[in-house]
Amino acid sequence: MSETNRRKFLAAAGIGTAAGTVGLVAGGSPARATPHPERAKEPLLALVEDHRGSEVRLLVGEREVVVQDRDLVTRLLNAAGGR
Amino acid sequence: MSSHREAPEISKDPVADSTDVYAFVSPADPSKVILIANFIPLQKPDGGPNFYEFGDDVLYEIHVSNTNKAEPNISYQFRFHTHVRNPASFLYNTGPISDITDATWNRPQKYSLTRVVNGEARQLASGLTSPPVNVGPRSTPNYAALAEQAVHTVGNHRVFAGQRADAFHVDLGSIFDLGALRPFNEAHVISMPNMGGVNAVQSYNVHTIALEVPAKALTRDGAAPSDVLDRRSTIGVWATASRKKGSVFDAQQGKFVGRGPWVQVSRLGNPLFNEVIVPMGRKDKWNSLPPNADDKFAKYVDHPELAGLLPALYPGVFPNLAAYDKSRADLDAILLTGIPSGVVPGFTNYTGPVKADMLRLNMAIPPSDNPNSLGLVAGDAAGFPNGRRIIDDVVTIELRAVAGLTIPLVDPSYTPDGAASAVEDGTSDTNADLLDDFPFLGLPGGGYQTQPGTTQAS
Repeated sequence: MSETNRRKFLAAAGIGTAAGTVGLVAGGSPARATPHPERAKEPLLALVEDHRGSEVRLLVGEREVVVQDRDLVTRLLNAAGGR
Repeated sequence: MSSHREAPEISKDPVADSTDVYAFVSPADPSKVILIANFIPLQKPDGGPNFYEFGDDVLYEIHVSNTNKAEPNISYQFRFHTHVRNPASFLYNTGPISDITDATWNRPQKYSLTRVVNGEARQLASGLTSPPVNVGPRSTPNYAALAEQAVHTVGNHRVFAGQRADAFHVDLGSIFDLGALRPFNEAHVISMPNMGGVNAVQSYNVHTIALEVPAKALTRDGAAPSDVLDRRSTIGVWATASRKKGSVFDAQQGKFVGRGPWVQVSRLGNPLFNEVIVPMGRKDKWNSLPPNADDKFAKYVDHPELAGLLPALYPGVFPNLAAYDKSRADLDAILLTGIPSGVVPGFTNYTGPVKADMLRLNMAIPPSDNPNSLGLVAGDAAGFPNGRRIIDDVVTIELRAVAGLTIPLVDPSYTPDGAASAVEDGTSDTNADLLDDFPFLGLPGGGYQTQPGTTQAS
């Protein structure tokens, strides 16, 4: 996944804006994503089925977008662990 | 049952649970084919105040394969939307519903119909109205007229989606009590007095999606089927229900909402396939797969568990079946490939070597003037396993086939046991009267008209 796509995902997911979530900027990753004109504009689910892998599945509308990004998986796992 | 509650996972999700699929040439117009799929099993008609309805969050489909690949060349998709007119009321209806557009129906359900041909979708209609359920004589007077209003003409198709009486008959209470067949109770390893069968499905309703389609709209080349032995005359038919892959509880709405693509959670082609052929540990997986993945399940057809159970449950009754250790090529043909030409004179519904559980209908065979509920095995080629008519006694047909009656079709050296041509569960069609025309299934039983059952603890 390109950095642009990852930023698009983070923006579309709204991660970091909901109460109780943890910012995903720890570890020196880019601090801010830029919304893309073609980003999803509806709720989505991000699914990491293998915490040791690099795959994130995004369930949005009637689609499933599969993203390969180990860094993103790590950031999500960190967030899920409260880090 | 045919496929009511046939697998552990789908039995917990009745709204998406397919129960029966029918495919037959219309006796009312032999140029048309009737495709029917039932869902939501065992509806007690008085199950209010929240009566049964299709799931807005379920994609219902009937698929047709017209090539040798057992792929869905044509799919009909039904998507439902329920509108609550007065959310401040707890009532299903606030007065008599005399017309399906009446504002007294507080929970009208509408749907869209989409036809997908080789992956290209075209919505044929939207805003089609389902009838309300049959509540009772005060709420839904003249239910037949209400239901008739819900038969819609869409181009050269007719379509219906709504509640109907289940037409399947089977003795569930006996069969799942250690494989007992009441007429043969005395011969069972745990012997009891013989008695007649009990139709466990009688008086229950289902929800039906039904289509009347010109036969030529289902062939691969658009030609009307006329030659029984022409491969193009035979189609494969199955139904599915799908849910969104992701589900999240929306606290604002107080209900689950789906996200992502549709994933198949229910499948049905031949009656009883998943129910009695596929082992319990694989039933849920089978429900999620397309028919052309059924090669993985062929071993359960070739050596069915039930064929081994019959001689054990009925000692001495099935000695020839007990001794038969060859692969069941007869069942393989009936259920997975269709019957090749040359096996039954003048008949075939072979769809190629791909093993796939589908109802296979040779559309060039006209409706029978004198239908026999035992279908092809009784010489009536218009009946199961050539497609499936509503009247077909598929429990008896499949029971006798598994018991060895159809082995000589492919293995003339085999002599069936005498019981193979007599075995049955003892039920007959004691369900609601069928209609003479589309959608053919009988009117659903009414809630007010429903009487309590006869359940006893011992």
